[in-house]
Amino acid sequence: MAAKDTLTEAVQVEFSNELLSPPELLHARSRNHKIPVKGQKDFLLSGSEQQRAALQKSLDEHWTLVAEERVERLGNLVNAEWIPEEKLVKLQTPAGKFWQTMGFSDRGKQCLLPEEALYLMECGSVQVFYQDLPLSIQEGYEQFLSPETVTLHQYQVFGHLKRLGYVVNRFDPSTVPTLYERQLNLPLPRNKQTKHLKRKHGNSPLGSRLFNKSHCDKRSTLPVEETKPAQQCEGEIMTVDPRLDQTAPDQAKTEQNPQDELMEFNTDLDRAPRRNWWTDTSSQVQHTLGQHTSARPWDFSCIRFPDLGSSRAGHACLAAPDPKLLPGALQVGECEVTPWLRKLNLKAERLSRREWERQRERDRYHRDINNDREVRRCRNWAEYLELMEKRRSHQFKKRPAHLWEQDVIPLAQPGQCDSHRDLLEQVSVIQSSDLLHGASRLPPSEQWRICFNVYQPDTVADFKKSHPGKPYTRMCVCSFDGPVPDLLVMKQLSFQSGDVPVTFAVVDHGDISFYCFKEFKLPTDIY
Amino acid sequence: MSTEATEKPGEEGGSTVGGAGTGGTRFDLDKETELRFEVEAGERVQLELLNGMAEVFGSELNRNKKYTFGPGSKIAVFTWQGCSLSLSGKTEVAYVSKDTPMLLYLNTHAALEQMRRQAERDNERGPRVMVVGPTDVGKSTVCRLLLNYAVRLGRRPTLVELDVGQSSVSVPGTMSALCIERPADVEEGFSVQAPLVFHFGSTTPGTNIKLYNKLTSCLAEVFSQRCEVNRRASVGGCIINTCGWVKGSGYQALVHCASAFQVDVVLVLDQERLYNELKRDLPHFVRVVLLPKSGGVVERSKDCRRETRDEKIREYFYGFRGVSFYPHAFDVRFSDVRIYKIGAPSIPDSCLPLGMSQDDTQLKLVPVSPGRDLTHHVLSVSCVEDEVEGGPGRSRGILESPVCGFIVVTAVDTQAQVMTVLSPAPRPLPRHTLLIMDIRFIDLK
Repeated sequence: MAAKDTLTEAVQVEFSNELLSPPELLHARSRNHKIPVKGQKDFLLSGSEQQRAALQKSLDEHWTLVAEERVERLGNLVNAEWIPEEKLVKLQTPAGKFWQTMGFSDRGKQCLLPEEALYLMECGSVQVFYQDLPLSIQEGYEQFLSPETVTLHQYQVFGHLKRLGYVVNRFDPSTVPTLYERQLNLPLPRNKQTKHLKRKHGNSPLGSRLFNKSHCDKRSTLPVEETKPAQQCEGEIMTVDPRLDQTAPDQAKTEQNPQDELMEFNTDLDRAPRRNWWTDTSSQVQHTLGQHTSARPWDFSCIRFPDLGSSRAGHACLAAPDPKLLPGALQVGECEVTPWLRKLNLKAERLSRREWERQRERDRYHRDINNDREVRRCRNWAEYLELMEKRRSHQFKKRPAHLWEQDVIPLAQPGQCDSHRDLLEQVSVIQSSDLLHGASRLPPSEQWRICFNVYQPDTVADFKKSHPGKPYTRMCVCSFDGPVPDLLVMKQLSFQSGDVPVTFAVVDHGDISFYCFKEFKLPTDIY
Repeated sequence: MSTEATEKPGEEGGSTVGGAGTGGTRFDLDKETELRFEVEAGERVQLELLNGMAEVFGSELNRNKKYTFGPGSKIAVFTWQGCSLSLSGKTEVAYVSKDTPMLLYLNTHAALEQMRRQAERDNERGPRVMVVGPTDVGKSTVCRLLLNYAVRLGRRPTLVELDVGQSSVSVPGTMSALCIERPADVEEGFSVQAPLVFHFGSTTPGTNIKLYNKLTSCLAEVFSQRCEVNRRASVGGCIINTCGWVKGSGYQALVHCASAFQVDVVLVLDQERLYNELKRDLPHFVRVVLLPKSGGVVERSKDCRRETRDEKIREYFYGFRGVSFYPHAFDVRFSDVRIYKIGAPSIPDSCLPLGMSQDDTQLKLVPVSPGRDLTHHVLSVSCVEDEVEGGPGRSRGILESPVCGFIVVTAVDTQAQVMTVLSPAPRPLPRHTLLIMDIRFIDLK
């Protein structure tokens, strides 16, 4: 029995009776199966006769190829029925070898997804009936491909990969192990995927298998919902030490950059605050400690410390402190200081001879820093440290004005870096970033989805439908007519895909090119 | 008075001692006197306040409540007004002393409180106090006292613990900061909630003085950031407890700490030489105060210090007196973690790249390949984010990142490439960057 490509003929012929005679079969078998090799593409129409002839020849070849009758053995054909309501193809006779990598069982019935059915039709392994009439391949294209199932572009990629021998199935975001599971190193549940499918048949057989437009909204929100518990778990796990991590909220805030806080506030309003000491402070705020130093020094003539060192000379009695300053409004009397003067240096100092000598030398030559007039003029630490810094920088040569006193100044300060790493850090204007960094917070995109899981061909690895294992790669299908994926999309998709790489299949009128983004680290000085 | 006496938890579980009734020795204390006692090894002592008011290092005692102190505790119960106490159990010594510098310490507190009031009024920052002195003069106790008094007045001071040998906040070999929100528990000390802990890795600052100074600066920076957003913390100020090493580089580290934290007051305990040197080396606006040490402070032997350290690690994993926490043991694959040691061995100058100074090696991270010698070492789990780590755009280096917890390696299987660890939380490890400490802990009990 032969399936024909053209609709008109197909309708008129009584199919089951269309058997071929032995000479016809012999002829069909001895036919040349080679696909004509296309040369290089001519991009511009030159108008020459030669070009026109070549074009015509190529077209003719194409048409003969497409119009050719396809001969299949009746016994090899599997009958199936197209059920448009469920967007499924149900098998009526037992499946063939393709069952190893395709299809699934629904309530004891063997089913195929539309793209699988179409591919098998093209291969000549399945004959699909609709309303008891066989569908031609053209009809298959029209019926099976829709935005709700797979688009033409997606099918082209699917078919291309299948023909190359890969095992391809639809990507279901819920089967990706969550961050938490990955961290725990949990083995993938054996029948996660199959169980998943089976469960879904009960309630909504459609929902699980439609994956474009109408349901994509629902789908695209799925990954976030699923990763969220993982993140919360992660947050909890960070509290390794019950005592160490219970950061008081205000304490945690201390560590966070205001910008970061704002960002977090925007993106995950509903998420529990992460409890660690600091989140990423990529643009570390340089703290000018001076801001907080009081401009006014403490007036230690009013604030009386019981200093035994200075009271050697004078007052021997401490006035009673104000009860308001004491816990429990204690009332205490005056305090005699003199008896304590005898009780100093009780702890014998053990100095080695060398230490003792060094000590004596220091006592003799080391000047009191407060003898310095400039130091005396400083009223607080900020001024003092500034003075010290100024003196230090004075030791260096004066900086050339044309470099340092304009809007644009050199990235690295002379004398500040003492290793290559420091220098590289100072001159690195563009920060390199990790593809996954911050991706967990991004909202999922409507437009971009991962379509297929791709597994290595049977020859490389054994594939089991019940236990597919980790895919070789995941496919995101797009077209040259559409937009180019941006960083945001790449972050989202690679986060969703986890440790499996994402490949972009770009369809250009039937030609498919594959692109993937590899991360690499800029060379740095390891320290 | 003694140092860190109550921080020694008991050896075994159980907070009550059978048979210890009210038939203990009764002590009647006059005002401004203190009862000092030491608990014998392997014994337990119960203390009860019968009437009057009394405090242990600034934490008030409840009347008719029994407080249990484990073996080796050295306690001083002070009363301002006079009280009666009952003590039951075997003590090594127990005597009443009139000779305490508490009044001087109280005056110090009054002065600090005056500063806090002024800070509150003028919208400025509160006093930052550094407590210095040689070993065994009661530095930690003075810190605890001042913090207790401050927090009892409703302040929120911060304890900065720079004593890497005998940390009162976390395990030894760390430098930490802790916000004090309530007075210390008489038996357990300050409640250790959400401290900021940095990995130092050794019990003396001398092993890597450069790292010590760097971490001091880190703590100071974090504390300043906190003060900027939290007004109460700013007014409360901080009390910095330092190491007992006051000579040579140890002294330089003190001066560095004073300038990093921009301290306002330095309390020098007992040693006049240190007092004079600090007066000379710190700018005039820093008030340096000399205070006597208490006669009750007992000198601790090396063994005693080592035991305290061990107890502190045990307390981290098993809780106070080893009864409240239940740590987990699990295997960690070598391939899942990166273990580093801070500080490379020094090499001759002639072997160094041109222009690189020897000191740089002290802050170098050296990857450690796991082996049998890792057994019993304490490892810090660094907070550094795994994915960020190693990248050039990383926000904070491993050195400057705080620690989120500690684990102890109990066994290493080089064949299977796994190590068994004792961890306060179940698997997995929250982060995969581990820093090795010189400190070992053998889980015997």
